[in-house]
Amino acid sequence: MEFYYGLAQIVGVHTLLGLSAYIVLLTGQVTMAQAAFFGIGAYVAGMLTVLAGWHIVPALGASAVMGSATACAVGFPALRVKGLMLVVATLAFGEGVRLFFFNFDYQIARGDLKLGPVGSEGFRQIRYFPEHGWTTGEVMLFIWVFVVLVMAVLWWFDRSRYGSVLRAVGEDELAAQSVGINLTAVKVSAMTIGGAIAGLGGGIFAHYTTHIEHSNFNVLVATFAIAYPIVGGLSNVFGTLAAVIFVQAFLIEGLRDLGDWRNLLFGALIVLAMNLRPHGLFGKRRGSSHA
Amino acid sequence: MKKLALAVSLALATTGVALAQEKTIKIAGFGAKTGPVRSFGVNSEAAMLAAADVINKQGGVRLADGSKAKMVVEFYDDRCTAEEGISIIRRVHGTDALVAVGPTCSNVAEPLYGILQKKADDKSDSGLQMPIFTDVAVKGGLAKISEWAFRNVPSEMTMYSSLFYWLKSKYPNAQTIYGGVEEDFAHSRASWYAVMKDRAEANGYKVLGNSKWLLADSNFATQVREMKNANADIVAIAAHPFTTCGVLKEMQRQGVKPKVLIGLTSSSSMETMQGCAKQAEGMIIPTSFAPVTKDGKFAAETTAKFKGSADLHSMAAWENMFILKDVIESEKVAGTKGELQADRRKIRDGLAKLKETKGLLGVTKRTDDREADKPYLFVHAAKGEWKVLHNPL
Amino acid sequence: MLDFLQAVSDGMLFGATYALIGIGFTLVFGVMHKLNLSYAAASIGAAYSGLLILKVFAAAPAWAVFLSAFVGGGVIGYLVYLTCFHFIPLSNPLAPLMSTVGMFLLIDEVIVHATNGMPQNYPAMFDDVMIRAGGYTLRGDLLLVFGLSVLCMIGLLALLYRTKLGLATRAVSQQPVAAQLCGIRVARVNAMTFVVTGLVGGIAGAMMGAAVGALSPVLTAPLTVKGLIVTVIGGLGSIPGAIIAGLLVGGLENVFQLYRGVTERDLYVMLLLFVFLVFRPGGIFTAKSGRD
Repeated sequence: MEFYYGLAQIVGVHTLLGLSAYIVLLTGQVTMAQAAFFGIGAYVAGMLTVLAGWHIVPALGASAVMGSATACAVGFPALRVKGLMLVVATLAFGEGVRLFFFNFDYQIARGDLKLGPVGSEGFRQIRYFPEHGWTTGEVMLFIWVFVVLVMAVLWWFDRSRYGSVLRAVGEDELAAQSVGINLTAVKVSAMTIGGAIAGLGGGIFAHYTTHIEHSNFNVLVATFAIAYPIVGGLSNVFGTLAAVIFVQAFLIEGLRDLGDWRNLLFGALIVLAMNLRPHGLFGKRRGSSHA
Repeated sequence: MKKLALAVSLALATTGVALAQEKTIKIAGFGAKTGPVRSFGVNSEAAMLAAADVINKQGGVRLADGSKAKMVVEFYDDRCTAEEGISIIRRVHGTDALVAVGPTCSNVAEPLYGILQKKADDKSDSGLQMPIFTDVAVKGGLAKISEWAFRNVPSEMTMYSSLFYWLKSKYPNAQTIYGGVEEDFAHSRASWYAVMKDRAEANGYKVLGNSKWLLADSNFATQVREMKNANADIVAIAAHPFTTCGVLKEMQRQGVKPKVLIGLTSSSSMETMQGCAKQAEGMIIPTSFAPVTKDGKFAAETTAKFKGSADLHSMAAWENMFILKDVIESEKVAGTKGELQADRRKIRDGLAKLKETKGLLGVTKRTDDREADKPYLFVHAAKGEWKVLHNPL
Repeated sequence: MLDFLQAVSDGMLFGATYALIGIGFTLVFGVMHKLNLSYAAASIGAAYSGLLILKVFAAAPAWAVFLSAFVGGGVIGYLVYLTCFHFIPLSNPLAPLMSTVGMFLLIDEVIVHATNGMPQNYPAMFDDVMIRAGGYTLRGDLLLVFGLSVLCMIGLLALLYRTKLGLATRAVSQQPVAAQLCGIRVARVNAMTFVVTGLVGGIAGAMMGAAVGALSPVLTAPLTVKGLIVTVIGGLGSIPGAIIAGLLVGGLENVFQLYRGVTERDLYVMLLLFVFLVFRPGGIFTAKSGRD
């Protein structure tokens, strides 16, 4: 059972990562910066529980706030660039954040032990969960409370005017602008919300792996962040969840029996999925392709 | 009468078959079979399978009730990522595997040990209770993270200390040393600053400085120029095979020829030979394996049959299998489904009790913080192979 | 001063490889308005495929390896086109992007499986030639890399501006619908674009292998990032831009390393990109207007 709880934990955190990109993708911005906000959330939450002795819930709150603050700051300059240039700019920002953590040292001595992040060696011993006796099942439920909450909020957005506004900007900026939608407010708000979700996910990530380092927040993670909503389809939040389950549960764990072939199939199946269902597993939102 | 005899013998035969149904115990293995470190996982798996084969051919492992069981190895690929390593251990915990041997990567080992129960008797700690016996991940001081974590990896501190001491007598003209470091790989970085530099100074060498690069770098001109300007007698390269080869080739181009060239322990493998055998000629590396003993040669040959190559990493996995056999027998492991968790605890306790183990180079001492003090020797690159230069044993 | 000049020249010569990768990205973007994230991985893969000739003729000279990398690149380029761009409707921008990510992962894995992840020795030409002038040295093999890259770029520009295929390519990039109405087979032009960029990529990968002396799968990701940065700095869709940006990034990267060390070097490259994005978002040579 431990294994399934653990897998559910991984699916939960990756869903948060995917959803953080989902909301930004709705506005037509392809962002490779979500791994950076994820990383910021991870270090913030880790430092708060390990160095400052905070309880996990306020620590996660702080990581979400830091994620959203950074994202907001990135959102404004991101408005100046579009398309491929935004991809590269956010990629570069993400790498910049990773390099920051590569150089980041902040240690506090506790008795004869030194705690805290040490540059390229990372941040070890983030053991809030095992130290407080949380079982794997309890951690899983804890994570999923947040995931369900975030999914509910995004689902509600999709049903409300805000969701339509987001998608309108994503479909056709000029038309959206001409009906009076404030592009800046929409795009930056989407980026900010995405940052909050990513920060939250990162904070949880730090605690369930107990050790984080700069390479946990690299280009590959940023790519997976956008891969989940793209493979799952942008019509609703369940697409992202389905894609995460497809990748983590099916491709990574389910195909283990295929031994060496698993890794080769990984890339091949993604290519196949995109060829067979270009609008994602859950397809295109009905009604949006009509003229 | 004939029919009766036939029937009786058939009956006896079938019951005989039922009685001879093999008992098995499972050992899980895991490591990186993906990415630049794929060869490590492939070799560890081969070594584990080879060792199990030898043990089984000799009759298998003796269980608490006196019966013999065959060792079965199930190997998992963790792709050198922490999340997958953790997922694998949780999966293994749910199977009937008694112990797990692995991982390859230190960045997997550290988080993995972190999710284990820290102290074996702490009931308030909900960490996983699964013994892990590591063969490859070599970053210093990890086993003390958890009482369920054990390692059979060499101590770089001991080896390089001995190397510098020996170099003093072999090359009395060499006084100065310059380093080259892969800054973004925690293992290489720690090996230069905390081990090589430290031990060189302790043995009276003057450290003239060091050059830095990153593990995926492709241009080493500036760094080698710094090295050339320093003009040290000894050059030590704390990097993995790819950048080591890049630097060595640049050194050849710029005509940098130190009196002594030292490398990183884990680079004493086929990888460096594949990448730059010519330029690595003469490089000296301390290592915990070379096929110099009868046991070592046998281990290397047997592993080769399972398509793996024998180096200090994979041979640690081989050693682990035999150590585990001894522990299973001495701790009287039951090997039944009902006793699974108790058996795992017995193996943990057995590993913790060990003061020394049998290694392929000689006796390996076990330390109090669950690490190993392995015998070592110095090899150097000669004509595309790692040959023994000096055997301090 | 000498150190500075040395760093700049070393970096610029090396930057020729970045320029080639940048050209590949920019050409595909210019013609199809799509990003091919597998390009750098395909180039390294092509370099590996160049080594296959050594399996047949163990004593093959370096130029034979480069030639097979060149050919291998074209083959891989066509494969990428088929799997990522031929069948997926072009109106959907995200699916081909994700498909190229899948190809990147696949190519990486194939390389790892074929070589067990171990670094492979790569032949170079003139690697024992060092031109010295006082305290200043120029690597002979890097001059070859630079020279071959320049030849490649000239060849490409000639193709684009002097041949029918080039004319068709430029037409499709400017007005795909009008081009189709003129009888140009858009699918064929797109496929050829990929083959041509694949050929260029093969040379780029081979040159990178020759410059380092060894090939490893770790090269694919950083090369992708650098290639993309070069493409954006040079201006999307501009080949001369990619060339100049490649040399610029190569040279400056080395200078940053000289003065600020290797741990901060990449941060400065990012800053360089941001400076361009803020002050000159179109890149060095802004793409001609009339396109999105």
